[in-house]
Amino acid sequence: MDNLREIIKYLEGKKARFADAREHHFRERQIMTEDTRVEGINEQSVSGTGIKVLYENGWGYASTSAKDMASLKKAADKALSLAKNADKSAAGKVELAAEPRHIAKFATKTKEDLFGPGVGDAVAVLIEAGETILKGKDIIKAGSYLVFRNVKKKYANTEGSLIETDISTVLPMIDATARANGEVKSRHYWPAPMNAGYEYFRGLDFKTNAERIAAQAREHCFAKSCETGATTLILDPEHLSLTMHESVGHPTELDRVLGYEESCAGRSFATTDKLNNFKYGSEIVNFIADNTLEGGLASCGYDDEGVECQKWHMIKDGILTGYGVNRELAHKLKLKRANGTTRATKYCDVPITRIPNLYLAPGKKTLSFEQLVADTEDGIYIEGMGSFSIDQMRLNMQFGGDAFWEIKKGKITGMLKNVVYNAISYEFWRKCDAIADKRSFKRAGFITCGKGDPMQAAQMTHGASPARFREIMVRRAK
Amino acid sequence: MNKTNSIIEKILKKPVTDHVVITSEKLETHSVRFSNNSVNRENLCKLAEEVRVEVGYDGRTGSFSTNELSEDSIKHAVKMAYEAAKLLPKDPEYMPPVTQAEAARIKNFKPVFGKMSDGRKYGILRDAFKELKKAGLNSAGSFSTTPLTFEVYNNNGVHVSHSNCVSSLTLTAMTENSSFRESHVSKDFSDYDGEAFISNIIKHAQLSKNPAPLEPGKFTVVLGPSAVEELLLMFLFYNMEAKGIDEGRSAFSKRAGKRIAADTVHIYSKPDHETASLSPFCPNDGMPFIGFDMIKNGKLARAWYSRYYAAKKGVQATGRYPANIIFKGTNKSVDKLISNVGSGLYVNSFWYIRLVDLMDGIFTGMTRDGLFRIKDGKLTGSVNNFRFNQSVFDLLRDTTEIGKEKSLFSMACASMPPITVKNFNFTSKTEF
Repeated sequence: MDNLREIIKYLEGKKARFADAREHHFRERQIMTEDTRVEGINEQSVSGTGIKVLYENGWGYASTSAKDMASLKKAADKALSLAKNADKSAAGKVELAAEPRHIAKFATKTKEDLFGPGVGDAVAVLIEAGETILKGKDIIKAGSYLVFRNVKKKYANTEGSLIETDISTVLPMIDATARANGEVKSRHYWPAPMNAGYEYFRGLDFKTNAERIAAQAREHCFAKSCETGATTLILDPEHLSLTMHESVGHPTELDRVLGYEESCAGRSFATTDKLNNFKYGSEIVNFIADNTLEGGLASCGYDDEGVECQKWHMIKDGILTGYGVNRELAHKLKLKRANGTTRATKYCDVPITRIPNLYLAPGKKTLSFEQLVADTEDGIYIEGMGSFSIDQMRLNMQFGGDAFWEIKKGKITGMLKNVVYNAISYEFWRKCDAIADKRSFKRAGFITCGKGDPMQAAQMTHGASPARFREIMVRRAK
Repeated sequence: MNKTNSIIEKILKKPVTDHVVITSEKLETHSVRFSNNSVNRENLCKLAEEVRVEVGYDGRTGSFSTNELSEDSIKHAVKMAYEAAKLLPKDPEYMPPVTQAEAARIKNFKPVFGKMSDGRKYGILRDAFKELKKAGLNSAGSFSTTPLTFEVYNNNGVHVSHSNCVSSLTLTAMTENSSFRESHVSKDFSDYDGEAFISNIIKHAQLSKNPAPLEPGKFTVVLGPSAVEELLLMFLFYNMEAKGIDEGRSAFSKRAGKRIAADTVHIYSKPDHETASLSPFCPNDGMPFIGFDMIKNGKLARAWYSRYYAAKKGVQATGRYPANIIFKGTNKSVDKLISNVGSGLYVNSFWYIRLVDLMDGIFTGMTRDGLFRIKDGKLTGSVNNFRFNQSVFDLLRDTTEIGKEKSLFSMACASMPPITVKNFNFTSKTEF
C-alpha cells in the first residue's frame, strides 16, 4: 500500500483533481476436458498497477506490470498526459459523487484455498464425469469447463481511501452431445458459479448430473419440433438468469443509457425520463440489485472506484426504479452517491459500470414449481441457456434454451426441439403472471459478461424462481 | 536482446524436460474511447509483456502464464507448468514442440508501420468531433493503436519472432433517432484520409435519420463488409474444425462434397496479406501458418487442421485457426453493387449474432448502425432495424455479386467485400 500512497501523493503534487491507483493480482486456472482427455489447462498469474487520473475535466489511465517506484511514476505521468489531452475535448465539467473515506478489507468467505489442491484433483473429477457421459447411449462428445479465479486488489485514492480485497470464484460446467435420429443435440449441467472456495466444487454432484444430461441430450434428438405461434412459457432460474441479464441488467447500466457505450455494447431504451414511472414489468416483477449478497459474483466489498457495495431495487412492483451508477454520472440522476458496481477485470483495464448481482425476487404467494406447472393448461417449459440475442437498445430479444418440454393440461409431457422465442423486452416482463415462491429460488451467473473497449469480461450473479409468461411468440428454429 | 529474452534462452539451455515451449507477447496499446463528441474515461495506455510456459512430460502438457518477468518468476512458471503436467492423465492428442525444420517453413514478412504520436491520434479525433458537431451529429467510438511482438522459443532450438501493428478507428455518428458506423483499420494510418472518412459518415448518418417503418420478410440485400465479416466469421469458427466435421459435430459433416456456395465465393487464408495480417506463425507454438483455400468453386475446399489432427490424417496442418480470413473481392465499389439492385436493403452491420441451429448453419442477429432502403439502384432513406434468422449456406448460395475488399479486425484479421444476397430472411422488427 505504501507505493500506492506515494503515487497518489505524487499525482496530487501534479494538480490532479482526482486520482486512484489499483494494484491488481489476477490468478486463474482454467481446465477444459474433451471426452476423457484434458484438452487444455490455462493457468495465469497476471499482476500490475492501474492509475487513473482526472485532470481538470479529462480522464487518463495508464498501467504497468512493474512494481518499482520509477515505473509507477512513469505510468502516473502517462495517465496525466492522456488526461490533459482528453481535457482539450472535454464535453463539460466532470462531477464526482461523494463517497466516504474507507479504510477497509473484504474477502470472500472460503474454507479451502482454490489453488490448494493440485490440478490433478479437479481433473480427475471432470474426467470421471466425462466417462459417465460417454457411457450414455448415442453420446458422441463429453466436455467440461472449470475456472478457479482469485483476484487480490489494493486500492488508494486522493480522498484517503485504502482498501484491500481478496475474491475467490468458482465456475464449473459439464456438457454432453448426442447424435441420433439425424440430429446433434447438447445438454449442459451448469451449477451456479459462486464466489467461494474449493469446498464449493467438492460439494457438487457431477456423476448424477452427468447421467442426467447424457440421457436428456439423446432424448432431445428424438423430440418433436415446436409449433410456431404465441404460447405460455415457464422458464427455469438458469434460463431466466440470461433473460434478465440481457433485458434488465444491461439496459439499467447508466453509462450505457447516457451514450458512453454507444459504439460497442450499445445504448438502452430505459432512458432516465422513465425512472420511477415506466412499467417495465407486471406488478409481481421485482428486480433487486445486491452487491452485498454473500457468495455473489459481484460481491467485492468495495468497487474499483472505492465505493462500498450496496443493495437497491432496480425494478419495484413492475416500475423502473434504479440504475447501476458510477461516481461520474450519479449527478445526472441527482444522486448523492454511486452504488458500488464499477469494476475492472485486470490491472490494465479501466473500471466501468457493470451489471451488479441482480435477481428476480421470488413470488410472495405460496406457489411451488409443481403447482405452477399444474396451473398451466398448455405451454412450454424451458431449462438452461441456449441461443441468445438482443438489439443494441435492448428491445428485440430472441432466446433459445438448453432443453424444452411441452406442457399439456398442467403436466410436463415430452421434450420439444427447435424452440426459440421472440419478444420486446419490457413487453415480455409485463407478461409475467406468476413467479414461484422462494423454495424454488436458484442462483446462476456469468464470468464472461463483455463490455468496454478494449473488451473486459465481468462477473455477476443472477437468480430467480421459475416464472410464467403468457402469450409469448415462439418460433420453430428450422 | 532484452532481459526477458536472455532469461528464456538461459532456461532453455537446461530444459526441465524434452518439451519446453516459452512464448512471449509484448504490446503497447493506446486506446482512446469517446462518446458524446468527447474523450471519455476509457482513455488508456497499456504496456504489457507476458510469457506463457508450456512443459510436456511423458505425453502430458501443463502451462502457466505470467507477466512477472524476473528470472525467478519465469522459473516458477516453468515449475508450475511441469508440476501440472505430472498430475495429468496421458493425452492421446499430445504433440511435441515444433521442430527447427518445421519452423524453417515460416515465411516471415515485414509489415510497414510506424508509431503514431499521441498528438496525431487526438488531433484526428478533435477534427472528427468538430466536423460532426458542425453537422449536428453526436459521436461515439474508439481509436486504438497496438504495436506488438510475438516470440516463440522451444527446447528444439526454435526461436521465431514477428512484430506488427493494428490500428483501428471506429466511429458511430448519431442523429436523435438513428446511427451509422464506419471503421478504418490499417497498420499505422498512413493511408487514412480523414476528410473522406468523416464526410462519408456524415452523409450516411444524415441519410439514416427518421427510419421509415417496414415489415420483416425476405429481401435482396447488399451486406457491407462489416456485416459479411460478422456473420461469416461466426459461421466459420463454429464449423471449420476438421475433427468436428469428421465426428459429425459440424454443419459441414453432412455436406461433404456438396455444393454450399455460389461459384464466385472464394474464401481463403493468406498469412502475409498486405493489410489483414498479424503473424506468419501461430503465437502459441511457432507452427507456420499456411495459405490455403477454405471455400472455392462452390464447395468446402479445406477444413482447419490442428497439428495433432493433421498428423493423424496425414495432411498439412493449417493451424487450429488460420492466420486470417480473406473473402476474395472484385474491383466493384459498394455503390456499384447498390446500383444493380432494383429493390432491396443495404445492411451496414450486424449485431449480437448467435447460433440458432448448428447442423443447418442458422444464425440470428440484428441489423445495426445503418439499414437503408434501396430503390432503383439508390439508397433512399433508412428503415427500422430487423432481426434475421438466416442459414449461412443459403446466403453463400444466394450471393449474386461481390464487391471490393476492406480490411477489418474484430474477431480476427479479415478482409471482406460487400456482397449482394437474394432472399435474406428478416423475421421480426424492433422499435427503432
